[in-house]
Amino acid sequence: MINIDQLYFAVAIAEACVALLLLPRIARGPSVSDRIVALNTVSTQAALAVLFYAAGADRAVYLDVAIWLVSFSYLGAIVWARFLERGLI
Amino acid sequence: MSTVIVVVVAVLALVGLVFSVSGAVGILRMPDVYCRIQCSSKTITMGALPALVALVVGEGFESAYAARALIVAALLLTVNPAASHALARAAYRAGVPMWDGAVRDDVKAMQAAEAEHGDPRHGDQPEDRRDGEHDD
Repeated sequence: MINIDQLYFAVAIAEACVALLLLPRIARGPSVSDRIVALNTVSTQAALAVLFYAAGADRAVYLDVAIWLVSFSYLGAIVWARFLERGLI
Repeated sequence: MSTVIVVVVAVLALVGLVFSVSGAVGILRMPDVYCRIQCSSKTITMGALPALVALVVGEGFESAYAARALIVAALLLTVNPAASHALARAAYRAGVPMWDGAVRDDVKAMQAAEAEHGDPRHGDQPEDRRDGEHDD
């Protein structure tokens, strides 16, 4: 009988591994847009990993980090898109 | 914690992980940026939602974890399409090329048709940029 906390840790590690899978695209992506897309996905996966880690370790403080990650990845994507479209300013 | 809940959590998390891995493989292997945006918006969101539902099931609906997981789910559902749309639009405007095998480009066709009919708004690029700066 597997403990549910161990299950949470396993899921957190797996989500983090999915984020690691995307690092070659960030390193190699032909255009800046490719890198931003991959970075957005990495932060989504990181938020999921943090959520599951918080549930596994019983630390409710870390939950806010996940919300922060998701909302700020959106802001980052919007700022980058604006920069690509219109340049600085 | 009953066994049924553990099994349900494991199955939901597994479904989410399968979708997440397929989205990541799509981002790695798709031929151009627009296809990659499609993977990152749809497949990754679909991978995140079952995992968040697994957290809600595992921790109980009234726990702090479930509340935060539902907030993250709602944020993802609203924010991910908006960000993907903005990125795709910016990539198109910045001139990121499409894949060689892409079969249609509706925006280009539309702009060509408008230029043919003498629509002055899409005639030259600098005027477009000046228009864009007023809206903030």
